[in-house]
Amino acid sequence: MSATALPQDNAGLRAHRTGPIETFKYDNHVVRAFAIATALWGLIGTSAGLLAACQLFWPQLNLDTPFTTFGRIRPLHTNAVIFAFVGNGMFCGIYYSLQRLCKARMFSDLLSWINFWGWQAIIVGAAITLPLGLTTSKEYAELEWPIDIAIAVIWVAFTINLLGTIARRREKHMYVAIWFYIATAITVAILHIFNSLEVPASAFKSYSIYAGVQDALVQWWYGHNAVAFFLTTPYLGMMYYFLPKAANRPVFSYRLSIIHFWGLIFIYIWAGPHHLLYTALPDWAQSLGMVFSIMLVAPSWGGMLNGLLTLRGAWDKVRQEPMLKFMVVAVTAYGMATLEGPMLAIKSVNALSHYTDWTIAHVHTGALGWNGFLTFSLLYWLVPRLYNTKLWSVKLANYHFWIGLLGMMFYVVPLYTSGVTQGLMWKQFTSDGFLQYPNFLETVIRLIPMHQLRAVGGTLYITGIVLMIINLHRTMKAGRFIGDEEDQAPALNPAASRESMKLGHRWLEGVPVTFTVLTTVAVVIGGLIEIVPMFLIKENVPTIASVKPYTPLECLGRDVYIREGCVGCHSQMVRPFRSETERYGEYSKAGEFVYDHPFLWGSKRTGPDLHRVGGKYPDAWHFNHMENPRNTSPGSIMPSYPWLLSQRLDTTVVGVRLRALRRVGVPYTDDDILNAPQSIDAQSKKIVTALAGQSITNAPPDREIIAIIAYLQRLGTDIKSMPTNAPAAAVAASLNHNQPQP
Amino acid sequence: MIATSEHSLERTADRLLEPKDAVPAACFHCGEPCRDESLAREGKNFCCQGCRVVHDLLAESGLDQFYQLNEHPGVRVRPRQTAAWEFLDEPAVRDKLLDFADDKMARVTLEIPAIHCVACVWLLENLFRLHPGVGRSQVNFARREVAISYTPAKLKLSELAALLDSIGYPPHLTLGGLERRPRDGARRRLWLQMGIAGFGFGNIMLISLPAYLGLDSFSGPFFRVVFGALSLALALPVVVYSAGDYWRSAWTSCRQRIMTLDVPIALGLAALYVQSAFEILSRTGEGYLDSLAGLVFFLLCGRIFQRRAHDRISFERDYRNFFPLAATRQAGQREESVAISQLAVGDRLVIRHGELIPADAKLISGPACIDYSFVTGESEPVSKQAGEHLQAGGKQTGGAIEVETLRPVSQSYLTSLWNNDAFRKEKHSCLYSLTNRFSRWFTRIVILLSLGAAGYWTLRSGLGTGLRAFTAVLIVACPCALALSAPFTLGTAQRLLARMNVFLRNILVLETMARVDAIVFDKTGTLTMAEATEVRFWPAEGHRELTREEMDLASGLARQSAHPYSVRINRHLGLLSSPVFEHVREVPGAGLTGVVSGREILLGSPAWLQRQGLPAGACPPVEGSLVALAINGVCRGTFSLASQARDQADSLVRNLAGRYELALLSGDNARERDRFREWFGSGSRLHFNQSPLEKLQFIERLQKAGRTVMMVGDGLNDAGALRQSDVGVAVVEKTGAFSPASDVIMEATQVGRLGDLLDFSRQSVRIIRLSFAVSALYNLIGISIAAAGVLSPLIAAVLMPLSSVSVVLFACGMTTWAAKSLNIYQS
Amino acid sequence: MSVIVILILASLSVALVFLGGFIWAVRSGQYEDTQTPSMRILTEPEGARKTKPTSDTDKLA
Repeated sequence: MSATALPQDNAGLRAHRTGPIETFKYDNHVVRAFAIATALWGLIGTSAGLLAACQLFWPQLNLDTPFTTFGRIRPLHTNAVIFAFVGNGMFCGIYYSLQRLCKARMFSDLLSWINFWGWQAIIVGAAITLPLGLTTSKEYAELEWPIDIAIAVIWVAFTINLLGTIARRREKHMYVAIWFYIATAITVAILHIFNSLEVPASAFKSYSIYAGVQDALVQWWYGHNAVAFFLTTPYLGMMYYFLPKAANRPVFSYRLSIIHFWGLIFIYIWAGPHHLLYTALPDWAQSLGMVFSIMLVAPSWGGMLNGLLTLRGAWDKVRQEPMLKFMVVAVTAYGMATLEGPMLAIKSVNALSHYTDWTIAHVHTGALGWNGFLTFSLLYWLVPRLYNTKLWSVKLANYHFWIGLLGMMFYVVPLYTSGVTQGLMWKQFTSDGFLQYPNFLETVIRLIPMHQLRAVGGTLYITGIVLMIINLHRTMKAGRFIGDEEDQAPALNPAASRESMKLGHRWLEGVPVTFTVLTTVAVVIGGLIEIVPMFLIKENVPTIASVKPYTPLECLGRDVYIREGCVGCHSQMVRPFRSETERYGEYSKAGEFVYDHPFLWGSKRTGPDLHRVGGKYPDAWHFNHMENPRNTSPGSIMPSYPWLLSQRLDTTVVGVRLRALRRVGVPYTDDDILNAPQSIDAQSKKIVTALAGQSITNAPPDREIIAIIAYLQRLGTDIKSMPTNAPAAAVAASLNHNQPQP
Repeated sequence: MIATSEHSLERTADRLLEPKDAVPAACFHCGEPCRDESLAREGKNFCCQGCRVVHDLLAESGLDQFYQLNEHPGVRVRPRQTAAWEFLDEPAVRDKLLDFADDKMARVTLEIPAIHCVACVWLLENLFRLHPGVGRSQVNFARREVAISYTPAKLKLSELAALLDSIGYPPHLTLGGLERRPRDGARRRLWLQMGIAGFGFGNIMLISLPAYLGLDSFSGPFFRVVFGALSLALALPVVVYSAGDYWRSAWTSCRQRIMTLDVPIALGLAALYVQSAFEILSRTGEGYLDSLAGLVFFLLCGRIFQRRAHDRISFERDYRNFFPLAATRQAGQREESVAISQLAVGDRLVIRHGELIPADAKLISGPACIDYSFVTGESEPVSKQAGEHLQAGGKQTGGAIEVETLRPVSQSYLTSLWNNDAFRKEKHSCLYSLTNRFSRWFTRIVILLSLGAAGYWTLRSGLGTGLRAFTAVLIVACPCALALSAPFTLGTAQRLLARMNVFLRNILVLETMARVDAIVFDKTGTLTMAEATEVRFWPAEGHRELTREEMDLASGLARQSAHPYSVRINRHLGLLSSPVFEHVREVPGAGLTGVVSGREILLGSPAWLQRQGLPAGACPPVEGSLVALAINGVCRGTFSLASQARDQADSLVRNLAGRYELALLSGDNARERDRFREWFGSGSRLHFNQSPLEKLQFIERLQKAGRTVMMVGDGLNDAGALRQSDVGVAVVEKTGAFSPASDVIMEATQVGRLGDLLDFSRQSVRIIRLSFAVSALYNLIGISIAAAGVLSPLIAAVLMPLSSVSVVLFACGMTTWAAKSLNIYQS
Repeated sequence: MSVIVILILASLSVALVFLGGFIWAVRSGQYEDTQTPSMRILTEPEGARKTKPTSDTDKLA
């Protein structure tokens, strides 16, 4: 026949040319592996959380070992839940849905398994290092540099696998879920790399290249977007795939879902700084964070409504299908969290909520509700399909649902109460203008019943997970696993599918987008890593003359402080409210943190703020307090740190560490580094004598306790030691937020 | 084809996505009731052999998931012979249909009205499992289209069509289908422009916010430079690409000396960018780039809203979409299907029941009974004798007939109508639109004001301030909100109307509708129903109503004939006991006789009954078309068959009669004049026996007399009038079924709401005026600020989105409210 | 505070990458049809497992 190609086809032609009908198999093995990992890590992560939670009203539960003490268990909990539970759940959902959406097997089985085992290895690494106190102390990025690198590598493997599969798809249209997955892959890579820029001092010790305010900014730019792109976008993608499937009806409005994606993508990335409201961050940066997080409500709710409206007229189905029940609660929780988040970003609200349990309640609405329940519904839907059978017991799944829901309630409600209570107590003044509760401890003890209730909630939630594991296990036993599910589809582009047989980057050329994406990302990262240090060195010029670097001993003390995870309960950021200056003293200035690698502002005050603790108590007080907090503060829930009194302080590392710090811009001279040991001896001797003077005679000079005392006594004192005429200048400088003076 | 299409279009996707509750003994495949139990197998019932064949086929091809996706997802299969599709292989036809073809593969996009649910999509996209020759197939559900790639070597186009037909998805091929619809690259471009504008907007806002929040207080020139540069860079594509259309249209309208609204918009945009660039480069300020980007973004949103098209409804259809693509030609002994375009004069065609007469032709043989209701408006089918002349477009009812074509399709009586120049001239351009009339003086004022401000400030405090004031006025006077109010009001109205199955060609129709002062109605199919007839029995004097037994006699006899009258009488009376007739005789065009147990029954036209020897005037003389019934030579009475009015039709006409100049144009005979006279009242004109051309001319005359005319019609016979009128309203039984070129397509059930529709249109225009006022107010405030020479970027940044958004909300809100109050839409 | 510049550049370049994605998507007609894709995903590949050679269906054509 005559070739009658029509003009408009020149573009779409290749996509339409008919190729052979291809028969291929979906890889269910890796999906199953991730599913199992999800369930198990879910149990472990939440249990770690329960352990930590119980220590808040029963400190002895740390079993008197450093490894199980709150400060080290909390990061373990957060990491396990975010990266192990949600991470595996995310991979599980993506690997299942992506193959079907693309009508193609994963790009490379090898990469799939590298992704799986690599990820598990990283988690195990975290589970080992964190209890050992090997941490950077930056929230959700606590893992030390070797593991950071591993994460980057595995993530790249995943990204290639993802994009490769998309490049080989046999379905022309890229369903909206796929876009959410791409967003996840690319953005998380960038975030992780930027936030983890650190200079190693030893195999498992490094210092963030950013200092103080800057470190805080980067950290929360990361922190927020980790939530946005690790806990949200992949799960939204999964919602858009699994919710319609489960309800067996198309999503309410596909057009809306497309708008949802692009709206989210263009706004989300900006909304970081609101985590630092009322800190030493410049006003405009704070307000910026605020504005953008408020703008986020629109797309988020668009997504939630789209999800819920999909079920309109199918509520009878919801009644029967436990997995739909989970889904509904998950989507609702998403809506609540995304409304609450921006609300918390409003300065006046944040002034009350920040540093209290309110934040904890907020994140757990998201974690338990949105991520948890969506993961459960995913597993309940997936496992029976993988095993070509029915769910072992729908009844049990329903029990899980109700127990889990109850657990959430018991968890969240008390924490809101406790958050508001404590927030108000901190700000409470008596009629004659004094703090109503000058003793921080009062506000803590008041919360203990709520924390106990919270633990009950957590226990219920975990019970639910156990039920699920039993149910899924029985289901697996009952069914026959289909490792490779066969399907047929006409090739979208025979040329490409033939090319892709041989590896290499030819398939990239087939997909200009993929290529541009990867190159751009590469260029961006490369280029910026070049620029960053340049800027920062210049930045680290102190603007408050009296602020000096830490002495070697204080520096080591600070490392102990980081190792023990003190930052998990103690902030180092006095906000400019009368209630806080009354309680803690002069509010914190940006200029005071220029030598803080990393920053230790913290995000929660289970204990009081420590930025002005220096010189507040005699050394002996700290000594006794560390040995057993209840000696000095009856009823305190802080764990005892006897090992600080017994463990010898390793001074051999000081040289390396000071050099590392110098590399990131702390002006230690060669002499400083050379004479470090001597200066350590001198300073610790001073402290020991001081202790002796305070009837603590048995204090040996070479223990960690000395270093930590040194550090605590130094905290926030530089600004006080200013020449008399200076304060005005200092305040001025701080108001100018530490701008670089040309 | 028409039949299948209407059958499936009754089902809307939504309804079928929800599982229907299973009807007892519903066909497992198509859900239609099963009468024949013998077809049932493995507890699955089937209504017909066809359905069962398809089911078995799907089952053995591993496609039985089809039945899990939806209950009874199939469509009742009435497959034609493969021969019926052969015409598709004629190169002339095939090459027109194919999107693409080379020696290895071909791609064709077929309209398949039967597509109605997820299962259909799935089945059609798995077509390759049914035939090795089929490659990719991709369904577009909204358009009821499937694009299929196939290997011509293994599969002929005709075979592909037959394959689709055999599984219940016959492609809907019409002459019109050959002209493919133009791909609208414009829409894509618009989305791109908006995306880029949105991107620029978001990011520029991020970057300029710090400035508003007191950036300089903390870090001096450095950030200003960085941010300034960034926002300039980000704004460039927005100005150049996203706003491109405004530059163009402003330029053209300047050249044509027409002051469209795009002129001040373009001016405003230009002023914004220049001013901002100047401020940033000279480090005297932050500029207004975020406002600029936001403005463009909002404007484009408006455009998109305005452009929204109804995917499934075409407003451009003419007779070609009504005519089938092929006819059956008698070639010696065998029949062959031939593309209509290939028909030659003198061809012998076979026309079966329900099929269309493609071209003017001479009747050769067979009892022709042609339904012209759609073509001429003649409501009653006319029976023709051999040798009589048949007009193209008529539908044969009853048995098969044989005809000989007299003229090629394009020259036929009906199609020649399309040569009238009413169809050539482009319909009134949007130049008359409210917005543009408004903008004429608005633009002038703005320019004057800006010059004024410039002059004043130059005199008072130098050229610099003068220029600032000049640009400032242009900036705030930029009628963004103004440009948005009309599209959003009318767009919302259009959307709401669509919910009651009234579809507008474009949003400007609504404006024209508000000006209508004369309404012309077509009769058949518009005020009355083409198919339905009300049958009444008038007993001859001295006789009672029919007994049940007599009814059965009449209806039983009527059943013997395919003549539409007989059919309707039979349908009207129903049949309880079926009496056994002996030697039934039908005299074409006259009547029927038959004998039951010695009683002779006559059923036919009174005239014929007389010729059969009944006394003249024995049968009661009544209005309408008549069928008399005689039993044993005694006239029992007369059936009158009158076309049945649509419900609310009369009340509608009565209401409108006072407020508009009304007229009735009917191609039908004057039989029912009095009835309609009563509806329309004495004032209005009623014309019968109107040819399509006469109707068109009638409209013209009205327009000459300065009237704005709305024509309401249903068929090809109105096509000319619809086209000529200012607002042509096509009334259709099923949206998506054929409707001639028109401005409004309205589902027949909604005809009664026409009055509300008119009120609504006037309401909307009022709302537009209001929102004009509101946005003008904003501009006034802005101008006064600007003219005072003090316009901070912050004020601009707040004022502009505020005005735009609030006007949009106002417009949409008011419109929805108006619609509710006329209960045009229920939430 | 110039770390902010770095963050903005990073965010901006990510945003730009996605803008590229958006442009590609619209250009290549990804969003021409915004209804069928949502229906398409509802179907399972299950049918595939039972697929047989379909030569015997030729009689249809």
